[in-house]
Amino acid sequence: MEFLGLSLALFGAALAAALSGIGSAMGIGIAGGSAAGVMTEDPDKFGSCLILQALPGTQGIYGLLIAFFVLNKLGLLGGAGAVALNWNQGLQIFASCLPIAIVGWISAIWQGRTSAASIQMISKKPEAMGKAIILPAMVETYAVLALLTSILMLMGVQVG
Amino acid sequence: MGVSKLKKAELYYHKSVHDEVAAVLQESGSCQIIASDEINNTPKNFDTGLNTVEEHVAEVRYLIRTLTPHYVDPVPSLDRMLGERPEVTMSELENLAAQTDLKKLCDDVRNAEREAGEVKTSLTQSRNNLEILGKLEFFNYPLSVITEGTKTVKGVIGTVKLENLDGLKGALGDFSKYAKDSELFLADFDSKKPPREICAGVIYSTDFEREILELASKNGLSFIDVPQEFKAAPQEESEKLQASIAELETKEKDLAARIKSLADQNMPAIQKLSDYYNSMLGRSQEMANSYGTESTMFTQFWIPVSETEKFSEKINAIGSDIELVFNDPAPDEEPPTLLKNGGLVRPFNILTELYSPPVYRGIDPTPLLAPFFWLFFGMCLGDAGYAVVMAGTIWYVFRKYKKIPCGIKDFIKLFAFCSVSTFLYGVVSGSFFGNFIDSFVPVLVPLKNSLMLVDPMTNPMQVLGISLLLGVIHLMFGLLIAAFDKLRSGDFIDAVGNDLSWFMFIVGLCLLGTAMNGMLPSHFFDIGRAMAIIGAVIIFLYAGKGKPGIFNKIISGFLALYGSTSYLGDILSYSRLLALGFGSAVIGMVINLLGGLAADIPYIGWIIGIVVIIGGHIFSILINILGAFVHPLRLQYVEFFGKFYTGGGSIFTPLKLSQEYVTVKA
Repeated sequence: MEFLGLSLALFGAALAAALSGIGSAMGIGIAGGSAAGVMTEDPDKFGSCLILQALPGTQGIYGLLIAFFVLNKLGLLGGAGAVALNWNQGLQIFASCLPIAIVGWISAIWQGRTSAASIQMISKKPEAMGKAIILPAMVETYAVLALLTSILMLMGVQVG
Repeated sequence: MGVSKLKKAELYYHKSVHDEVAAVLQESGSCQIIASDEINNTPKNFDTGLNTVEEHVAEVRYLIRTLTPHYVDPVPSLDRMLGERPEVTMSELENLAAQTDLKKLCDDVRNAEREAGEVKTSLTQSRNNLEILGKLEFFNYPLSVITEGTKTVKGVIGTVKLENLDGLKGALGDFSKYAKDSELFLADFDSKKPPREICAGVIYSTDFEREILELASKNGLSFIDVPQEFKAAPQEESEKLQASIAELETKEKDLAARIKSLADQNMPAIQKLSDYYNSMLGRSQEMANSYGTESTMFTQFWIPVSETEKFSEKINAIGSDIELVFNDPAPDEEPPTLLKNGGLVRPFNILTELYSPPVYRGIDPTPLLAPFFWLFFGMCLGDAGYAVVMAGTIWYVFRKYKKIPCGIKDFIKLFAFCSVSTFLYGVVSGSFFGNFIDSFVPVLVPLKNSLMLVDPMTNPMQVLGISLLLGVIHLMFGLLIAAFDKLRSGDFIDAVGNDLSWFMFIVGLCLLGTAMNGMLPSHFFDIGRAMAIIGAVIIFLYAGKGKPGIFNKIISGFLALYGSTSYLGDILSYSRLLALGFGSAVIGMVINLLGGLAADIPYIGWIIGIVVIIGGHIFSILINILGAFVHPLRLQYVEFFGKFYTGGGSIFTPLKLSQEYVTVKA
């Protein structure tokens, strides 16, 4: 059971990167389908479509960020060697990863749907680009809050 | 600052000068013609010229759409967007339009296109036929046996699956019942690698046509439809076909060259004419809103006060048959909105227009949001290195392109301004390409540390506090603007009950909290408590105003106080300033870390490291600029505007020349 703590912490990091990555991939996929449809009619909208499609991509980055944060905290990056961790600390780090893992995953999908709808909107009203960007950003708020929670929790966990 | 004052102009003129007047209106670029239902419902007794212009616009659109794929534009579209367009005068365009026979050009292009289409179809067909012939090579007789037949003999060709081959041989082969009346031919195949199916042909006596065909298809021969034009033996036909394919291919090349040369010769003129005819289309459409009698015309339009003198001068130069009157907009009229912010605030106009411009007599929120957006953008991107890259790129663009159109220039300037706040926040938070200095240039660490005021990496709570404090300031500022706006229109009770009460309540709570933590001297505790209580009482009473019965008053009072949760949500929303700034710093850190790890690979490691660091930071800059633009914008639109601003105006859109491909000189 010597490495249980380390394993739990790594499991958390894996979930943070994987789940939010899945969510972003799905969200961008949903938005991309919509963008492709609009661009068959009007290829000039590539720029605005791309921006709207990219919006649900940030969750994946947030997840990656937390995963790196954990790896760094565990001393697994660079050649320094892993710090010793008891299972309690491991579980704490695992818990800290959950907000971004879960919220990142689900919010990215919903943000993708909103982006897809926004892309449909600018296909009819290109001048509404400002509003079209804000609507998906409303969804992202909760991913940002989850990121913040994960960061603050991780900073609070004492290791080594 | 704020919304430009407009005048409503009424222009009466003689029909004979209609074209000159329209030209002045359009070329001044500062008149928005007013469409009125009353005028539009009266029948037009003048020629709007719309039909001819629409025809030309359709021709130009067709030509541009068809020829653009065949034309290498000497001016890339990005350069064109940034103002690198040939300069022409209006009279040059008019001459060009008079000289160019668009209809003939369209016919030429259409013919060439049609021929190319036909050649392409026959090429595809010939290639398919060649493929069929390839399969028939085993059949050494003229194909007319199959396509026509003679009086007594006919044939079919088909494919048969290998497993059905024996059955077919049994039914129609040398030992079958019809051995005398038919002959079966089989294509050769490699018995080591047998294909799934092979080709087979049957020649038969027409006397037994029905029976033999039935037998063949029952035994798994699926017939191939041999094109009627094949008469000679497959080998010979195949040679003929190859010759005709070669001919078609040269023809295809020639046609492509013809279209290309049409494009090369005519595209510059077509592009100019596109702008010309689109301008004319806009002009005719707008001028159709005029009212005409037998010999007089009447046009109404909005014009900014600052432009009136220049415009009068130009219009009076046409002649004496013109009468121009300027009026102030009537109180029941709703003129369009033209934002008039100069200097530093001007680029931020875009942000207000993206949301919804203010109504003509409303507050312009642009100067109010500008400093907050500037600061928030800086905090979200928050990296001195990224700011340098941004500013450098913008400097390069401005140096290379001298004629950038206004709107785009303003948008770029917005980012130029924001790169300053990004740089400043990067310095005070010690972020330069993430932790580049700590990782690779340890010499500079003391300098970096000496400039640092906050450290989000080790003490995020401090920056969280600052973010939330900025949120409170931003929201309270919004409430004060709302109160000011209501006081301006004499709504004293609403101003106090709706806005100032919340202002006192929240500021009071903040003072109370900070004093309790010992961050402020203790007498602020009492001040805060008093403010919060007074505020709460006013909120409570104001909510009950107009509700019948004491019970209803109390309920709505408590409900209103419960609304403080929405303020809590608003304030917490500003924690994104910490999160996004932190995010870009950590992404930068991760890139540097990966670069450093890659650099440890022997021999070529440093190359990989440099590629990772440069590529990674470019990616990071792009993704973080998007975030740093969108999120502060949200804070303006949702949290800040929610307190005082609804927009609802319509943007002033004057009649202008279309300048997509050329710049029209005066």
